[in-house]
Amino acid sequence: MKSLFKPWLMAVLCINVLSIFAVPSAQAHGEKALEPFIRMRTIQWYDVQWSTQKFNVNDEVSVSGKFHVAEDWPISVPKPEASFLNISTPGPVLIRTERYLNGKPWTNSVSLEPGGDYEFKVVMKGRLPGHYHIHPFFNLKDAGQVMGPGVWLDIGGDPADFSNTIQTINGEMIDMESFGFANGVFWHLFWGLLAAAWLLWWVRRPLFISRYRMLDAGLEHELITDQDKTIAKAVLVGVPVLVLALNAVTANQYPDAIPLQAGLDRILPLPAQVNAGLVNVDTLKAEYNVAQRAMLLQFSIDNRSQGAVRIGQFSTSNVHFMNADLASVNSKPGKDDVSNNGLSLSDNTPIAPGEQRTVTVEVRDAAWESEKLDGLIKDADSRLGGLLFLYDDVMGKRYISSISAAVIPKFN
Amino acid sequence: MSAQIPISTFKPYRGEKARLARAYDYLILVLALFLFIGSFHLHFALTVGDWDFWVDWKDRQWWPLVTPLIGITFPAAVQAVLWDKFRLPLGATLCVAALLLGTWVTRVFAYHYWNFFPINMVLPATMVPGALVLDTLLMLTNSLTITSIFGGGAFALLFYPTNWPIFGMFHQAVDYHNSQLSVADVFGFQYIRTGMPEYLRIIERGTLRTYGQYATPLSAFCSALLCSLMYPLWWKIGKLFADTRYLKRI
Repeated sequence: MKSLFKPWLMAVLCINVLSIFAVPSAQAHGEKALEPFIRMRTIQWYDVQWSTQKFNVNDEVSVSGKFHVAEDWPISVPKPEASFLNISTPGPVLIRTERYLNGKPWTNSVSLEPGGDYEFKVVMKGRLPGHYHIHPFFNLKDAGQVMGPGVWLDIGGDPADFSNTIQTINGEMIDMESFGFANGVFWHLFWGLLAAAWLLWWVRRPLFISRYRMLDAGLEHELITDQDKTIAKAVLVGVPVLVLALNAVTANQYPDAIPLQAGLDRILPLPAQVNAGLVNVDTLKAEYNVAQRAMLLQFSIDNRSQGAVRIGQFSTSNVHFMNADLASVNSKPGKDDVSNNGLSLSDNTPIAPGEQRTVTVEVRDAAWESEKLDGLIKDADSRLGGLLFLYDDVMGKRYISSISAAVIPKFN
Repeated sequence: MSAQIPISTFKPYRGEKARLARAYDYLILVLALFLFIGSFHLHFALTVGDWDFWVDWKDRQWWPLVTPLIGITFPAAVQAVLWDKFRLPLGATLCVAALLLGTWVTRVFAYHYWNFFPINMVLPATMVPGALVLDTLLMLTNSLTITSIFGGGAFALLFYPTNWPIFGMFHQAVDYHNSQLSVADVFGFQYIRTGMPEYLRIIERGTLRTYGQYATPLSAFCSALLCSLMYPLWWKIGKLFADTRYLKRI
């Protein structure tokens, strides 16, 4: 005993010491784990906003925004023929009450068109209090999850206050939190008691060794009595009859029951918002300097609009690189997915209407590494994608181009 | 084979021997219960999986086809042992009851308390009536062939009507933002599942089409045919693992 005491004491002490160090819980959704070329060249999110980030149980919160489905969709990723706009949550701490795509309500999956522009809105309701990291994201069939920008939500209040009622077509109001529960428990208990009775009928008498010996001795007829047979016959006839009768009663109770719905919603894209034709951007070259964590992009910009435009922002995979010269308009201090000085141009003067200019843009920030976007150069498909935002300050207009190009790495 | 004991010389256990044999019974029963709760539940979760987990997966085509087909496996194997070696006609009921115990524990603790889903969204299905029919038919006929054909068939055919009293109410129609959904579909839409987009549901898919809009009977009879083949297959597997060599030394 004494020899065991010491190791036990040491083990208990070690556990106590280790318990001093707090174990951080995982608070992300693997958004950086997906290959960069998929994050950059599938769903290109922008203008995503939450109505509020602090609310109570039963309060509504909505997230709205826009996304462009990249024209340069990767060959290795199946086309988005069935896509589902989802919300990453740690379980249903919120419920989703409404969802709109291009202003139309939708509940099933939808087929998205590469090159298409969409705006979305998801309305939710607080269910469980807590501090949660939440993203809108797309489940793409056979491709995986493409995350939108994440935020922290604080839900306050008492979970017991949560209520969620809906109305059936027949006018019945039902509480989704408890609907069908008591009925389900009743039928499980009902059949469970019958099963228990059958099991106890046999378990009450000697079982394994005794029965094995008797069977071995040829006393099989004594193991199954006439009474057993009578009960078995009653069960064999009675149970199916009871099942069919109960089924008929239920069928009469719900004569208008419908099958589960599995249609694909059909929603067309909006008129072009990105690559709309007034300001054309052609990517001539993309070069990534590994040591400097800088992407050098060369664009040929053809301004066919009525006003002069300037490059203000480059966004890819929810990271926004801003042109510091336009910071008064675009700067978003304090946001870790925004690089306020990340964009510098070879020629920052406005591009006049009708002018065609070749511009070299340096996108330099540690975010290429911290967001694991530099992994692009090690991917089988090392093409870059993203949205280039050009601004006409005078007319107050914004032009967006979805760009893509093969990336050449520079290692020195 | 051990030498058969002549009937005239067979002496039932009495006194201490009988008490020990009974203690052994209880020991095996408790172990068997936990074994079947764990193994059958794991087998079921990995194969039937989402069809049994979620109310909005329980469709009229795949659910009544897949669930009995997988559900008959362990009952057949355990019946092979308990009936063949001990003439105990309770293998199917024991397995299904153990499965339900494990399933309820998981639904309450893992799905409800750990992952916050309302329990009514994850109510399990029951196969108890099918199991009772399987046990009684085997006992009364003592025939693998008859139990396979009629018992396997009944196990599949009884599944959907057994569960309709539990799940029928979830198939009431709802006008949900200009879409017709069932109450079950509304659960799937409202209660967010990050890893379970709508399109992943394997419901009403494939070439198993309706005939005159009667989908369930087609699926149920298809399942009955497959169950009558699955039953003897798993009976043989049960026989393969049935080992009473230690009993022979007693």
